[in-house]
Amino acid sequence: MKYLIDALKNPGGYFASTPLSVVCAVFAAMFFVFTVVYSFRHMSGRKGLWRYYIYILATFLATLGILFSANFLLLLVLWGFLGLMLYLLIGFGREEGTPESARKSLAIIGGTDVLLLLGIVLIWSIRYGSTGLPGFLRLPFAGMGIQLDTTGSVIAYLCLASAAFAKAGAMPFHTWLPDTARDAPVPVTAFLPASLDKLLGIYFLARVTLEVFVMTPAMNTVLMALGSVTIMAAVMMALVQHDLKRLLGYHAVSQVGYMVLGIGTGNPVGIAGALFHMFNNTIYKSSLFLAGGEVERRTGTSDLARLGGLVKAMPMVFAAFLIASLSISGVPPFNGFASKWMLYQGVISGGGTLWVVWLVAAMLGSALTLASFMKLVHSVFLGQPSQISREVIESREKTGFFTILPLAVLSLLCIGLGVIAWKIPFADYFRPGVGGELHMPGIWQSGPATLVLLAGLVIGYLIYLSGSIRKARIVAPFIGGETLEKNPDMRVSGVDFYRTIREIGILKVIYRLAEKKLFDLYEVLQKIAAGFGIVFSFMHNGILSRYLLWFVIGLAVLCIVLI
Amino acid sequence: MISESIVPLFVAVPLAGAFLTALLKRVRGIPDILGVMSSFSGFVLSVFFLVRMQAERTVLVLNVGNWGGFQEVMGRIVGIQMVVDGFTIFMLLIVNFVAFLVAVYSVSYMTRYTDKWQFHTLFLLMLAGMNGVLVTGDMFNLFVFVEVASIASYALVGFGTGKRELEASFKYAVMGGVASLLILLGIIFLYSATGTLNMGDMKTVLSEWSVQPALIYLVFGLFLAGFGLKAAIVPFHAWLPDAHPSAPAPISAMLSGVLIKALGVYAIARVFITVFGFPRQVSIILLVLAAISMGVGALVALRQWDMKRLLAYSSISQVGYIMLGFGIGTPLGIMGALFHLFNHSMFKSLLFLDSGAVEYATGTRNMKEMGGLARKMPVTSGSTLAGAMSLAGIPPFAGFWSKLVIIVAAVQAHHMKLAAWAVLMSIVTIAYVLKVTRFAFLGELREKFRDIREVPALMRIPLIILALMCIFGGLLLVPQVRDVLLSPAVRVLAENGGM
Repeated sequence: MKYLIDALKNPGGYFASTPLSVVCAVFAAMFFVFTVVYSFRHMSGRKGLWRYYIYILATFLATLGILFSANFLLLLVLWGFLGLMLYLLIGFGREEGTPESARKSLAIIGGTDVLLLLGIVLIWSIRYGSTGLPGFLRLPFAGMGIQLDTTGSVIAYLCLASAAFAKAGAMPFHTWLPDTARDAPVPVTAFLPASLDKLLGIYFLARVTLEVFVMTPAMNTVLMALGSVTIMAAVMMALVQHDLKRLLGYHAVSQVGYMVLGIGTGNPVGIAGALFHMFNNTIYKSSLFLAGGEVERRTGTSDLARLGGLVKAMPMVFAAFLIASLSISGVPPFNGFASKWMLYQGVISGGGTLWVVWLVAAMLGSALTLASFMKLVHSVFLGQPSQISREVIESREKTGFFTILPLAVLSLLCIGLGVIAWKIPFADYFRPGVGGELHMPGIWQSGPATLVLLAGLVIGYLIYLSGSIRKARIVAPFIGGETLEKNPDMRVSGVDFYRTIREIGILKVIYRLAEKKLFDLYEVLQKIAAGFGIVFSFMHNGILSRYLLWFVIGLAVLCIVLI
Repeated sequence: MISESIVPLFVAVPLAGAFLTALLKRVRGIPDILGVMSSFSGFVLSVFFLVRMQAERTVLVLNVGNWGGFQEVMGRIVGIQMVVDGFTIFMLLIVNFVAFLVAVYSVSYMTRYTDKWQFHTLFLLMLAGMNGVLVTGDMFNLFVFVEVASIASYALVGFGTGKRELEASFKYAVMGGVASLLILLGIIFLYSATGTLNMGDMKTVLSEWSVQPALIYLVFGLFLAGFGLKAAIVPFHAWLPDAHPSAPAPISAMLSGVLIKALGVYAIARVFITVFGFPRQVSIILLVLAAISMGVGALVALRQWDMKRLLAYSSISQVGYIMLGFGIGTPLGIMGALFHLFNHSMFKSLLFLDSGAVEYATGTRNMKEMGGLARKMPVTSGSTLAGAMSLAGIPPFAGFWSKLVIIVAAVQAHHMKLAAWAVLMSIVTIAYVLKVTRFAFLGELREKFRDIREVPALMRIPLIILALMCIFGGLLLVPQVRDVLLSPAVRVLAENGGM
C-alpha cells in the first residue's frame, strides 16, 4: 500500500514524460482508435468479444504506462503483462496454427522478459548494489551512463537489448512475428506486432542505448550488423512467401532492421532517422495489414495463388495498399523514403570502417522490398481475377466506412509525412539524450522534389497517352489445346515471380536450412532442451532399484563432501 | 496463556476428525463435513495465532503434559515442547489454507471413488502429521510426525488401487521408508552427541562446542538425504514423478502444494538453519542441489504429455528455486525462498486441482487428446491460466515477484552464475507451462468432448480462490502485509531479520 501511495503522491519517481514518449503515446492512441474502429466490422460475429476489447484496452493502457514509466520495475511488469495480452489476443485467431503461434510468441517474448529482469538486476547491482530490495524497487529508468567496460555491464546491455529485439521483432528473436502475422486476427497483428510492439521495442532500445549505457564502437558495430542481417535475411524470406499475411510479417521484421541499424550508427542523424522510421513504419505497416485483412475478410483466404484482380472489387483498399507499398519500399516522396534517406546519411557518417557494407545492405534491402511488393500488389490486386476474386467482384459489396477511415488517414499520413518531412521538429522529438546538432550531409528538399516527381509522372502519362507505348502485339497464349473456359483458374498469378532466386547456388542451401527452421532460435533451443530432456527422461526409467541406487550414491557423495 | 494451551489443537483436531470419520462412516455426509470442518478449524487456528503474534511478538512455547517442572531438577528440558514462532505460523497458514480448499474440492471430486470415508480419514491423518511437524520443538517428535504424514500419504497415493497407483505407492513407500530410516539414524547420532532431543537445547549445546566432531557432519549428510527425499531434491526425487500423477488430484495437490514443503523444505530449514546455525558447507551443497534440481526438473517437464506428470517434474524444479533462496542464506534470499514457497503452494495446488477438473470432465490426462477446452470449461481454463502464468513468472502474477526476489538476492550475494541459471530455467519453465495452456485449452474442441461440462460448484470455488491468490499474491511484498506474514518468518531464520 505504501508503495502505491508513494507512487500516487510522488508520480515523479515513477512516471516521467519526454518528448519522444509523448509522440509515441499519440501514435499509440491513434492505433488504438483505429484498431477498435476496424474491429467493429472485422471481428463481428465472434463470441466473447467483450474480452477482446478489454484486452485491447489493457494493452493500450499498459503501453502508455511503459512509455511514461521512469521506474525500471514498473516498466518490467507492464512489459511482461503486454506479452500475456498478446498471447491472449492471438488466441482469438481461427487458423489452424493459432495455438502454436500464441505459444511461440509468449515463449519468446516471455523468455526475453526474464532476460530483461536479469539485465535490470545487473544494472541495479552495478549502480545501486548496496541499497537492498527497496532500492531495487525504486531503480529509476533514466540516464545512468553506465560504461560498457565490464562483463556484467555488457551482459546487462545484451539482456535489455534482447528484450527490445524480441518485442520489436528483430533478429534473432523475430521468429514469432511471421507466424503471428499468419495466425492472429488481422486487427491484432496491426495493433501489436506491427505498431505498438515496434514503438515500444525501438523506444526502449533507443533509451537504453542512449541514456542508460554509454555505447562503445564495438557494441555499435554489433547493432549495425544485427540490423543489416535482419534487413537482408527477412526481405529474402519475404520474397518467396506465398501467403499475404506471412509475407507482410517478414517485412515487419525486415523494417526493424533499419531502426536497429540507425540506432547502431550512434550519430544524431542515424538515430533520428531510426526513430522517424519507427513512426513511419507503424503507419504504413498497419495500413498494409488492415488492407490485407480486408482482402482476407472478403475473400476468405490469404493465399496469394487464390487471389488476384481484386482492384475492381475494392479500389479504395487497393489505393491504400499501393501507397503503403511504395512507402515501405522507400520510394520518394512517401514517408518511408524520408526516414530511409536520413538513415543512409547516418550510416555514411557514423558507420565506422564497414559503412559500405551497412549501406549496401540497407539500399539493397530497400530494392528487394520494392520487388517483393510488386509481386504482392500484382498477385492480390492486379492480373486476371481468380475464381474467388470473381465471386467477390460480382457480389458488389462496398468496403465499409469503418474500414476505409483508418486506411484513408494512414495513407494521408504516408504522403503527408513524406512531403513535409522538413517541417517536423526533429531536434525536439527524435533526439533523446543525443547531444550535438542534427547535421544532414545529404541534400534533399522534399517539397520541390515532390513537384519534380509529380511533373515526371505527368510527363510519363502524356507519353503513354501519345500512344507510342500502346503499340503492343496481343496474342492468344498457347495452352496445349485445352479450352480456357473449362479451367477458370488457369491464369498467371504473381506467386512465383521470384522463384528463380531459390535456385541460386548458395541461396538454395540457405533457403533449405531456413525451411528446416535452423535459423529459428526458438526451434533450435527447443531441440537442445529436448535433447537434455531425453537424456534425463531415460534416466527416469521407473525401476525402483535404480532410484535407490541414486539415493545411495547421493548420500555417499554428500557424506564424502561433508567429512 | 490461553494461546499456548491451544497449540496442540493443530494436531488434535485433525486427529479427532480422522477417528470420528472412521467411526461415523455410515452416516451420510458426515465424512465430508468432518473433513472440511477439521481443516477449516486448522485454518482458523492459524489465523488466530497470526493475530495473536502480531499483538505479542513473542515465541509461544508449550511444555506438553506439564513436564516443564522437571527442568530445574534435571538441568535440561524433559518432555516434548511445542513451539510457535513466525516461521511456524507462516507454514501453518499455508498448509491449513490449502488443506481446507482441497477438502472442499474433494467433496465433489472423490465421488468417483468408493469408500470416501477412508479418503477423509487418511487425509486428516496426513494433515495432523504435517501440523505436528510444524509445531513441534522436539527432534524425535518431529520424526514421529513426519512418519504419520508420510504413511498416510503412501496410502493416499495408492488410493485408486489400480496397477499404476499401487506401483507408485510401493516405490514411494520403500524410498520414503529408507529416508525415514536415515532421519532416525541422524537423530540417534545427534542424541548421543548432545544428550538432548529438544531443538533449543541442542542448539545451545552445539554452539558451545569449539570443534564440531565428524559425527555431526555425518548427521548433516543423513538429514540432507532424508529430508531431501521428502522435499524431492535431485537426486533424491525419484519417487515424486510416479507418486504425484498416480494419486487422486486433491492428494496430488496436497503432496505437491504442501507435503513436500512441510516434511522436506520446512524440516531442512528448521534443522539446518535454526538448530545447526546453517553451516557453510550445507549452504553450498544446497545451492548445488538446487541448481541441479531446477535444471533436471524443468528439462524433463518439457517432454511430458501427461498433464500431472509434467506438473510433478515442475515441482522438482520449483523446489530447486526455493532451495536456491535458502542456500543463498541472506535475509533477502530467505525471504525469496519463503515467498516462493507460498506462491508455489498456491499455484501448484491450483494446477493439480485443475488437472483433476480436466480429468473429471474428459476422463484423460493426456494433453495430446485434449484441446479447445477453454470454450467448455471457462473457470478451469481461466484458473489454469492464472496458475500457469504465476508458475511461469509472468508479471504481475505472484510467481513473478518471488522469482524476482530470489534473483535479486542471488545477484546481491554475487552468485551471478546461479542467477543466470535461474533465469535460464525460468525460460524453460515458460516453455513447458505454455504446453499445458496451449494443448489443453487452446485450439479446436475434439468431437468426443462435444458434451463435456464445467465441473460442479464445490470444485469451482477452490479453483477460483486459488486463482485469486495467484493473481494477487504479489501483494505479500507490500510492506504492511510483509510485516505481518513474511518478515516474522524471515526473522526466525535470518539473524538480522529485516531485508
